[in-house]
Amino acid sequence: MGKMEKELREKAKELLESGEVAVVIGYGFNRRKTRVTPVFITDPAETDKLVFNALCVNNLSIYLTRKYKDVQRIGRPAIVAKGCDIKNIVVLITEGQVKREDVYIIGMTCEGVAYKQELLKEKLVPEIMPVKCHNCDVRNPHVTDTVIGEKSDFTPPEEPTGMVFDKIKQIESMTATERWDFWNEHFTRCIKCYACRQLCSLCYCEQCITEKNMPQWIETSAHPRGNLAWNLIRAMHLAGRCTFCGECERGCPVNIPLNLVNQKLVLTVKNAFDFESGYDENVHPPMIVFKEDDKESFIK
Amino acid sequence: MTDRYISKESLGTLITTVNKSGGRFVAPVLDARQVVYKEVASIEPVVDDYILPRNSYKEVAFPQTEVIYKYELNRAGVTIDPVEIEARETIVFGARPCEAASLASLNSVFTWDFIDETYTKREERVVVLSVGCINADDECFCTTVNLSPKSTTGSDVALYETDNGYIATPITDKGKAFVKTYSASFADTPKGEKRKELIDPEKIEGVDLTKLGETLAKTENYDNPKWAELTRKCCGCGACTYSCPTCHCFDITDEGTAFEGERRKNWDACQFDHFTLHASGHNPRDTQYKRYRNRFMCKFHIYPTKFNSTGCVGCGRCIRVCPVRLDITELMEAMSK
Amino acid sequence: MSNLYIPHLVTIEDIYEETSDIRSFKLVFKDKELRETFEFKTGQFGLYSAFGLGESTFCLASSPTRKGYIQCTFRKTGRVTNGLGELSIGDTMGFRGPYGNHFPIEEWKGKNILFIAGGIALPPVRSVIWNILDRHEDFGNVTIVYGAKTVADLVYKEELRHWDERPDIKLIQTVDPGGETDDWQGKVGFVPTVLEESKVKAENTIAVVCGPPIMIKFCLGALGKLGFSDDAVFTTLENKMKCGVGKCGRCNVGDIYICKEGPVYTATQIKTMFADF
Repeated sequence: MGKMEKELREKAKELLESGEVAVVIGYGFNRRKTRVTPVFITDPAETDKLVFNALCVNNLSIYLTRKYKDVQRIGRPAIVAKGCDIKNIVVLITEGQVKREDVYIIGMTCEGVAYKQELLKEKLVPEIMPVKCHNCDVRNPHVTDTVIGEKSDFTPPEEPTGMVFDKIKQIESMTATERWDFWNEHFTRCIKCYACRQLCSLCYCEQCITEKNMPQWIETSAHPRGNLAWNLIRAMHLAGRCTFCGECERGCPVNIPLNLVNQKLVLTVKNAFDFESGYDENVHPPMIVFKEDDKESFIK
Repeated sequence: MTDRYISKESLGTLITTVNKSGGRFVAPVLDARQVVYKEVASIEPVVDDYILPRNSYKEVAFPQTEVIYKYELNRAGVTIDPVEIEARETIVFGARPCEAASLASLNSVFTWDFIDETYTKREERVVVLSVGCINADDECFCTTVNLSPKSTTGSDVALYETDNGYIATPITDKGKAFVKTYSASFADTPKGEKRKELIDPEKIEGVDLTKLGETLAKTENYDNPKWAELTRKCCGCGACTYSCPTCHCFDITDEGTAFEGERRKNWDACQFDHFTLHASGHNPRDTQYKRYRNRFMCKFHIYPTKFNSTGCVGCGRCIRVCPVRLDITELMEAMSK
Repeated sequence: MSNLYIPHLVTIEDIYEETSDIRSFKLVFKDKELRETFEFKTGQFGLYSAFGLGESTFCLASSPTRKGYIQCTFRKTGRVTNGLGELSIGDTMGFRGPYGNHFPIEEWKGKNILFIAGGIALPPVRSVIWNILDRHEDFGNVTIVYGAKTVADLVYKEELRHWDERPDIKLIQTVDPGGETDDWQGKVGFVPTVLEESKVKAENTIAVVCGPPIMIKFCLGALGKLGFSDDAVFTTLENKMKCGVGKCGRCNVGDIYICKEGPVYTATQIKTMFADF
């Protein structure tokens, strides 16, 4: 990783010195150098703070959204982004949230990250990588202004594999009652901290539906009724948009398996519209466009 | 009162006895791949290999959501039916000495001038059995806020692990009464049973609580650009406040129809952008760093100066749970300069 | 009462449509005893419930000298206020309070009083105005400077007419440029400007200012120019509140809880506070 970091720092320095960008959004170490955390580098002399390694699991694209007025005020950003993070930037572009020319994308080739930082002991092993990494088709980042790192020759399996897909199959085979019980058990734990929403760059609404109270669409209490309503509605709002970056599940302090919900919707949309979000900034997601030949089989 | 001893076996009996007498026994258990405080009916699910449970046990006195009253609209107008506050004896087993200090802090908020009985009635019935830490992780920083695994502030009975049980030191009158009531579960310490050595987490050198307090007390530091620089990464979720043992903010909200329903008191977080939004659209804390600054001020300025209590107990939950790894101790260090 | 958060039931005895979106209620406690014993001081506030929708915080807009009822004035902006906007005379709502501190009017005896208010911020000032007017012999001259965006946004139009006619009050009304109508008799201009032009004498005078944060800021400047000392200038701060009793953690400005130690402050106090309002 040493070489990549060096290249990254040089690029960041060059971008800041030339004035092409005002801030580089990237990863840096904490005090103990045990964890990485988002950093905002504005001074070319501080680009040495930038790091890139298997701890860099956060999807930094949240900082491009209008929720972060404070970051936007700094000026044009460059963002350190893995292929999976770039998928989210692509959706932000297709949905008119970010203009392609308003962000400089430093694409990082990637050999996978840890599912959670705490899991990484000495080196990255497949067991601690999230399912998205095992099936990754963007290890060589796809929409970039520059690419840092050696080309990866990883080929994802033809059929996506991993725990999330196995579990989805298992849930599909359950009866309706069993499924209801399964989800209720998980959603009951929800504490309504909204970490899932806050970590999702596609949840960029300044006023979330849960904050709309005329009428009160979702009960704000963290009781099973309110929790179920929140989680179902959030899932629906991400259908056809979610890129399966996994940030919501990673951030959930009570371990709700949100990846199952979101991947199921990814599969559903793929099946219905032959669409996967996050690949092409010129193609609009199916839920915001209408085509005459759209399948109408969902109306029963 | 001299030290007593409770074996793991007797602990099992204690749990069933408390349950039988109508009390609640709350202990660390494994749930969804993490250790959390939960009500238990027997010793089987209770775990002892943990640093700190994910949640704080404040929820036994200050539940995340509770009904204050039910209302009904009828011909006569409106009828209000207040909900009786359920104040059962509640034993919290396995609390760590750091967070044991927290209920006293919450108490100071819920009782200054007006007394919030929805909290105090429950808190009065809580007995805290703390267990001294023999392990710590990188996020523990109790020693930096002048607490330690040896602290007994807020513990009613301080327990110390041995090979086969716990040596129990009653601290408060409540604790002494508890040991007396359940004396059948306690015994003299058997020969050979010794306290395991407590861990001593390293103090963070750069933090000086006095200087920190002085910095925060000055209004001219309120607009220091450091606030934004160090905390703009905050994603604005409520994970830290909902795990924090001293965060006390709440919302009051109605649920129901125009004809019947209930008024609830729910946890709320000063980190949410709508928390302080005025009806006019004006928001005094309109950016995330201002909201984080408020939380930090609350811990290290408001609690200590206004309520003369501990705002931060150094449990480190907010660091562990933070999805962007915003480390409160790094801010403490920066603001100690 | 054992539970702080349980409101008293009140009946809406009268409704005044102040503007297209501002309403006032005259409220009477259902409990006969409370109706007679309820007391408050000018400047205090309460939490008003629309059952099924929630609670909102408004000041007590009536004067404590008028017994047997309370009044409140609110703009229909959110869930609760829109709910209250749909209630009719005879309907039941909830009230908790009074909370907070008050204007120290006993210390103002013998002094002239200058009232300055903008838009929907007249209600808290109105409570003081009537309190002073009902005991006018104890105080000196009364001057009222009141402005709103447009003529239609002025509240308490009846009372403004009444005050305008009274010889013992000087009332200066103004609307923002562009907000005037053809028959508008008052001034056109922003409140701070009109205030400065009024040349009100600062000597032996107390100023009470209420309005949006930006108006307060400029009025404090104007009052300084007129020679008012910060100790003679009073205002109320309105931060979002849910509990009203210093628990819910919303209204604090640094370590000051507006709901308990406020909402009334002198300009001296305001200037030493953290910038959190």
